[in-house]
Amino acid sequence: MNKRVLALLMTGVMLAGVLTGCGGSSAGSNQSASNTEASADGEVTLKVFSNLPDRKNGQGLVEQMIIDDYMAENPNVKIEVEALDEEAYKTKFKAYAMDGMPDVVSIWGQPSFLDEVLDAGVLAELNEDDYKDYGFIAGSLEGFKKDGKLYGLPRNTDVQLIYYNQKMFDDNGWSVPTTYDELLKLVGDIKAAGIAPIAMDGGDGWPMATFLTDIMVKVAGTDYAKSVSDSVAAGNFDTPEFKQSVEVLKQLVDAGAFQTGYDAQDYGTAMNLFTNGQAAMFAMGSWECSMAKNEDIPEDIRTNIRAFTFPVIVGGKGGANDIAAWNGGGYAVAADSAVKDEAIKFLNYMYQPDKLSKYGWENGVGMSAQDQTSYLTGDETELQLSVMDMVKNATSVSGTPINDCGPATFKTVMESEIQGVSNGSESIDDFIKAIGEACK
Amino acid sequence: MNEKRKKGSIGKILLWAILIIMAVIQIFPLIWLVDFSLCSSNEMFTSGLLVIPERIRWDNYVIAFRDGNVMHYLLNSIIINVLAVIIVIFISMMAAFACTRMHWKLRSFVMTLMLLGMMIPIHATLLPNYKIYNYFHITDTIWALLIPYVAFSLPQALFLMTGFLASIPKELEEAAVIDGCGVYRVVFQVIMPLLKPSISTVAIMTFLNNWNEFMMASTYLSTPKWKTLPFSVLEFTGQYSSNYAVQFAVMALSAAPAVIVYIVLNKHITKGVAMGAVKG
Amino acid sequence: MRKLYSNKKVILSLVAPGLLVFICAILAPICLSVYYGFTDYSGMGTPKFIGLQNYVELFHDAAFGRSLFNSFLLALGFIFIQHPIAIVVAAVLDKIGGKAESFFRCVYFIPNVISVAVIAYLWKFIYNPDFGLLNNILHAFGVKESVNFLSQQTAIYAVLVVLIWHGFGWGMLIYYTGIKNIDPVLYEAAAVDGAGWWTTFFHVTLPLMKPVIQINVTMAIISALKQMETVYLLTGGGPANSTQFAANYLYQQAFKAFRYGYGNAIGVVFIALCVAVTVILNTVFKEKEV
Repeated sequence: MNKRVLALLMTGVMLAGVLTGCGGSSAGSNQSASNTEASADGEVTLKVFSNLPDRKNGQGLVEQMIIDDYMAENPNVKIEVEALDEEAYKTKFKAYAMDGMPDVVSIWGQPSFLDEVLDAGVLAELNEDDYKDYGFIAGSLEGFKKDGKLYGLPRNTDVQLIYYNQKMFDDNGWSVPTTYDELLKLVGDIKAAGIAPIAMDGGDGWPMATFLTDIMVKVAGTDYAKSVSDSVAAGNFDTPEFKQSVEVLKQLVDAGAFQTGYDAQDYGTAMNLFTNGQAAMFAMGSWECSMAKNEDIPEDIRTNIRAFTFPVIVGGKGGANDIAAWNGGGYAVAADSAVKDEAIKFLNYMYQPDKLSKYGWENGVGMSAQDQTSYLTGDETELQLSVMDMVKNATSVSGTPINDCGPATFKTVMESEIQGVSNGSESIDDFIKAIGEACK
Repeated sequence: MNEKRKKGSIGKILLWAILIIMAVIQIFPLIWLVDFSLCSSNEMFTSGLLVIPERIRWDNYVIAFRDGNVMHYLLNSIIINVLAVIIVIFISMMAAFACTRMHWKLRSFVMTLMLLGMMIPIHATLLPNYKIYNYFHITDTIWALLIPYVAFSLPQALFLMTGFLASIPKELEEAAVIDGCGVYRVVFQVIMPLLKPSISTVAIMTFLNNWNEFMMASTYLSTPKWKTLPFSVLEFTGQYSSNYAVQFAVMALSAAPAVIVYIVLNKHITKGVAMGAVKG
Repeated sequence: MRKLYSNKKVILSLVAPGLLVFICAILAPICLSVYYGFTDYSGMGTPKFIGLQNYVELFHDAAFGRSLFNSFLLALGFIFIQHPIAIVVAAVLDKIGGKAESFFRCVYFIPNVISVAVIAYLWKFIYNPDFGLLNNILHAFGVKESVNFLSQQTAIYAVLVVLIWHGFGWGMLIYYTGIKNIDPVLYEAAAVDGAGWWTTFFHVTLPLMKPVIQINVTMAIISALKQMETVYLLTGGGPANSTQFAANYLYQQAFKAFRYGYGNAIGVVFIALCVAVTVILNTVFKEKEV
């Protein structure tokens, strides 16, 4: 018997010899190409590190379209994309930050992410004056600055939404809640019909935190940002407005607002519940507006997706038009990039008004951080238009979601403990204490 | 007499029952996986244990094969693992020979030191190794996988090799030395053929340990150049989050090579594992 | 011959590759870990030396405590659920013989050759409350409500089931080999004495299997300590750290929370624990044998 194993092994050995012979040499030549800024024929390789793994739908498609355009217009430039979903992306980003960032990267203009990154000086400074004509919405660059210097550009205006299935609502005689009490009642009705009321990606932690942000905006109104930044600075979240917000969240969970097992399910699972018609609503940011154009989703659901923001809470300071929105995600260039000029050129190319904004708008991705009014095509989905109106009519905008307002440790602890407080394994007081301590 | 036979047959039924129940538990999830991989995504939401698809969707596999980069990753896996196995065999055999047969002061110290590696949890070295590989610019190259794969298979291989070497009589070597062989020829021409069973055990153990590894790979690699088979699954779930059936197909597809090879080489692998595990 | 076998240069050339790999990939990283464990390094910028602060914090860290407790639970699960079943099945397999023997042996081992990446995602789907296999089975038995297997209270057991399931073939195979190595003469003697199957199993098989059981128990405890991949993909340590394990936790701290220094401190304690447990188990079992 051993003869056969050995024979197999020997074939393997020889095969491996042949394969590594060519594999090794090609790897070597690739490396030399990416390390030298421009070889004889002016070839440049740009490495783009992205948090959008789905390259065929939504924002990832838009990004890929721009990359393809750029490569078509600049035949000497080759762009390599590495894409991971958000959690994995952030992990890998930090690993990269130790040394050797890819040339163009996705970033978030929020303290939890950017503080340490900028301290380490891994991102290249950009010249703010270059972007005067790019139509960035007032204030949208603020999160990407440190000491008055600009290090990145925002990609989207994100709004925290509750998507709902209009047809399902009509068929069952449900209506969009305008107050929190109506929402609670609606949850009861939907549950009674044997459908999951709100699909929630609770396994990741951050979607619940952005959801909580919307609640707190309705509780604290325009005081939201100040209340949170004071709490982070003092390491003390024991404020009436925060406590009430968590209580609202808890009450919703207790009423069965989220699907069974929400605290262990991931993004895709939660979204699929909604897009397969098993959940009536889906709590997520406006970047998922592209669901309305995603042909993998059955048509009678896709065309009936609408959205609203968290309803008004009686006694709360926030009105219906105080919304939870921020300019979070964006792009930056690595400080030690060997092809920095090309990278910045590509970055600027992406932000040319007819790229990110236009493509994004046409693909129903949601709102960019730039002025998009000139791209109305008349072809927009109703979902897109309604979200645009929300932003247009907003009386106040929250800014950074609560989990991203503090240091990275705060974010990690909050996103883990929010699972515990929502599912009842941790008391609200312990939750408040734990996240307060994480700020210190 | 009659009673005894009856009792015997009841016992037999019980034995068979135990075996079959365990087999169902072990294998049914995999059958379920293959079943759903041939459905459309919508069919999954029907109740019932297995679904008979309206139309068998081989196209799930086509998409999975193409977009999951299966061919490329499978080839990477094969190259990396075959190389790791060969390197481990040679290094462990040489070291085992030096540590058991040859005469030098530090030999037991060196051997104990290297055997200590068996106790070190692989994952504790993820952070510092990442830093080291970055420093030497070998992240995202084949070395970033080969070095740790070899290093963490080495202690066990060394242990197995020394065990086998001890059971080989010295007379053969003596004869060879008298014939004028040098140490290298003794190792590679006299000892190596005798070590065949332990070499195949080491090869199988090393293969099984590293074939499915992805934690180090996902930390040390960034581009698809050297990514291994598990990445077909890991990357796919983000890309096709809204299409469950295709996700199932890619899972089935990336599990298939190992399962097929195992079924074909079942006897040898079983023997190798048994030998390696009991001795190790 | 002795002279030939004492040639320093030859010895060095034989040992050097192994030693080099060992030092580069195992020893050096550990030393680096020890160094970073004393700093507040975030992974970027320059590290600052903070003495034992990380270790003091680790001592009070509830999540780390929870990971050790989970390892303990897992080890219990292996020893008291997986192993007894494995021994019995191995003995039955040995008894049944013929084609069936090799067929079942092959079937039991199949999950073992499948990547954890596939296993973890597969079980994520099996546990899914909406279309998962387990809930469908429950529905078939008339249970109306969907059960959330990965909830705060049950997630750790759900993880346990996956690991027991995945590792079953391995444990079984080792016991099976142990049983095969038992001298058939002993069984014949037992049969002459009129012992039935169970009596033989308890009085002949089990006592003779003691060394194999000891090896398996040691391996179970170590692998319970080292657990990471399945949890990393299946639950990410959640909900709320309820399925946290040391390896996963150090990874999260270093790469997610920007606490590379603290992550390394966890790594150092983790290594020390693994070494200590192995040494203790080996001495305990050795003493018993004497």
